[in-house]
Amino acid sequence: MNRIDVDHPEMELSRIDRILASEEPLIPSSGFLGSVLERVREEAAAPPPIPFPWKRAIPAVLFTAGIFGWAAFELVRLGLPAAGSLADAGSVSLAMPHLSAVAVQPFEPAGWVALALGTSLFSWLLARRLAGQSGLL
Amino acid sequence: MQATISAEEDLADVDRVLAGDVEAFAGIVRRWQGPLINMAWRYCRDRGRAEELAQEAFLRAWRGLSQWRRESSFSTWLFALAANVFRSELKRFPTVTVPLEAAPEPSGSPTQHNTLSKELSRGAVRRAVLALPHRYREPVVLFYFHEMDVAAAARTMHLPEGTMKARLSRARALLRRRFPHLEAEQVEMEFEVLTTGKEA
Repeated sequence: MNRIDVDHPEMELSRIDRILASEEPLIPSSGFLGSVLERVREEAAAPPPIPFPWKRAIPAVLFTAGIFGWAAFELVRLGLPAAGSLADAGSVSLAMPHLSAVAVQPFEPAGWVALALGTSLFSWLLARRLAGQSGLL
Repeated sequence: MQATISAEEDLADVDRVLAGDVEAFAGIVRRWQGPLINMAWRYCRDRGRAEELAQEAFLRAWRGLSQWRRESSFSTWLFALAANVFRSELKRFPTVTVPLEAAPEPSGSPTQHNTLSKELSRGAVRRAVLALPHRYREPVVLFYFHEMDVAAAARTMHLPEGTMKARLSRARALLRRRFPHLEAEQVEMEFEVLTTGKEA
């Protein structure tokens, strides 16, 4: 059936049409069916992908979000009075009050360092636990 | 009649595969390996690559068999899926093509015909299709693959028929401009048929 006559009554079947329409069909190679089926069998035999352990991850995500939220809150709470005092004093240097605070209370940052280390350790342990391992080593 | 039998066989095989019978997929591959390889061949003009592309299309069909909604025929779904696969794979690893203007045009006057020059002409025109701008290339490939059925080509590309016709018209104009001697040859051939009653 020459469908071009139906769809394009204004067009004749040109030589270009004849060339492009008259291709010798390729015969599939003898191993084609076998190789497709082999790959299909491999896929069928493969175990299903491991779903992400959302049930175990959600508490950790919430805990981490809580830590970050609390840290942000603390930063704002501690930072705002410092900024206010700077504004009052008309100071040019932003670093000076922090430096002086560190000089006055040298052990205060130790708590933050410990908290950061603890959070890192917890994250590491949690990651190992999620990966199906247990213990430190 | 043949199409009805194939459709019924496709349906039965799909049901068996979805029920867990992996081997039933062999029937689908056996029936459609020829069309899919030939379709891929028209996209890339490389036999080895065509088989790789067809194999990838069959694998995607295997994975997505449950997504066939049976509103259209299995062949329509399979060809549309294969066209997507070929398009994306060839975008990732394109075939080497030359610009349409640089596509070689066979030398020799239209009157100096022999088997070799005809073959050269055919090869040049077919290669020139791959050098068409992207938006016109695929409609041409699918139109001739579907034996010049605009509706089938449009369904495979998920395009309205009007858009498909417009793109085909533009592509044919580009090809005619690139191969003017073929049009001259056509006029001469038609004249010969009219005067002698024999087709060359």
